[in-house]
Amino acid sequence: MDIAAIDRSATRGDGPLRGAAPRTKLAALALVLAAVLVSWNVFVLVGVLLVLIATLFVGRVDLRLALTLAAYPALFALVFAFASAPDVMTAAVIVAKAITAALAAVTVVLSTPYPQIFSPIQRIVPGIVGDALLMTYRTIFILLEKFSRLLRASRLRAGLRVGQPIRSAQATAGALGGLLLYSVDLAQRDYDVMRLRGYEGRLRVSTQRSSDRRVDAVLLVGSVLLLATSVVWRVAFGALNPYSWLTVIVPLVLVISAVLSTRRARR
Amino acid sequence: MSHIHIPDGVLPLWLWALGWAVTLIGVGVAGTFASRQDARRRVPLLAVVSALMIVAMSSEIIPIAYHVNLAVVGGILLGPVLSVIASFIVVAVLALLGHGGITVLGLNAVIIGIEMIIGWALFRSLITLFGRTRVGPVAFGTTVVTLALTTTALVGIVALGGSEAASRETGSLDPATLRFENPLSEGLFAVGLLSGGEEGAEEPAAGESTGGLSVGRFATVVYTLGPIGWVLEGLLTAAILGYVARVRPGMMWGGLLTRSSLRPQGDDGTVN
Repeated sequence: MDIAAIDRSATRGDGPLRGAAPRTKLAALALVLAAVLVSWNVFVLVGVLLVLIATLFVGRVDLRLALTLAAYPALFALVFAFASAPDVMTAAVIVAKAITAALAAVTVVLSTPYPQIFSPIQRIVPGIVGDALLMTYRTIFILLEKFSRLLRASRLRAGLRVGQPIRSAQATAGALGGLLLYSVDLAQRDYDVMRLRGYEGRLRVSTQRSSDRRVDAVLLVGSVLLLATSVVWRVAFGALNPYSWLTVIVPLVLVISAVLSTRRARR
Repeated sequence: MSHIHIPDGVLPLWLWALGWAVTLIGVGVAGTFASRQDARRRVPLLAVVSALMIVAMSSEIIPIAYHVNLAVVGGILLGPVLSVIASFIVVAVLALLGHGGITVLGLNAVIIGIEMIIGWALFRSLITLFGRTRVGPVAFGTTVVTLALTTTALVGIVALGGSEAASRETGSLDPATLRFENPLSEGLFAVGLLSGGEEGAEEPAAGESTGGLSVGRFATVVYTLGPIGWVLEGLLTAAILGYVARVRPGMMWGGLLTRSSLRPQGDDGTVN
């Protein structure tokens, strides 16, 4: 997983999705998740998935990165579905739920800086938990960078060889141990610097406001519509199941329109 | 194979809501307790161990959907109180990256938290029994036993959530007929692709259920693939902890042994 690419996507670039208020995006995520929870109709779930893809297009978020991230949990869902689903349809629904829910979360993460996402969590958990959450995310980058350097160093010193798996494994484990110690020292130094600068037990995150309220409104209304569709199809499934194809066709038109409008805008 | 990769919306509401409630209470209590006992100096260690677990869990090592957890390493280094916080942080970040599901976040945190605490307690007991020179073998044994236990807990959760009664709650079954409603069975899509044609489609008997999860099959798959992962993770845990015990014993025994009389002399168990 390329966490650096995720962070780049969240903090740089433009597009309407990045300008929306983080709170709105989190509320929209909750509504879309509710739609996924309610529905057991594979067409409705695919429809929600297509709406999310259209949103990514319009929001100018890296679609390939988003789909790659969403595919990872789908792999685990596939194993779970294979292991436990009573029939093919249930298995398809389980995998569709996994991809759709993951893509909804990834859409928010790829368009929102991480302190803004963690900010609401910080308010409901004890200070130490909120601070550790922010420091953890920052530490991930230190770990990834340092680990790649350590592995390169091990390779150059012939610590990693294809024909010597045990020696390679020992070198990798040693690199991980060294990485752990290095990162702790670095994080400790950062913490000491923070204390010197006046940190007294709570990192404050200022809330980002919306740059265009219309985008917020569209996100919320769209999410409510998705949830309403999901609920209606669940409640009146007997009458509506023959028309389930509608829940795919309409979002498909949305995706095509989004692609065409994006191309036109680029020209 | 020890935390839940069940997607959102498969487990019943009562089960994942219970997971969330237990997690929030646990994190609240642990957070308050940690703040009181001047654990703030260990926040960097908490962040690093959580980040290490996130990196490990987000890297698939074998194309059978397996990744290492390093939860036992985390539990041993952090101790029980910070482990509860670390488990929440790890699953929260992973869920935001689409890995693990947001509704099952609570259950995931409970499972990983239990894994870290059992790992800490078991390692502490075994190292007292066998001595500090046996860090590698003890870490290996601890990891394998802990993962086996938490995998069983995972199967238990699926058994709770996968029963027919629970399936009805999630809406996987039509409450009127107790049947799973297939949207391909009527209208434009009634071509029977998945049932061998319309004529070949068999109707379940009245009241017959087709929507529950197969817990037996799930357990078979998990207990077949799991041991490979337990051994791999055990070896990795043994190597990492062996290295840390040699190079920085204070960090190792600081999280493990809470009483100052048990810590190595000249080492206060914190990292400076």
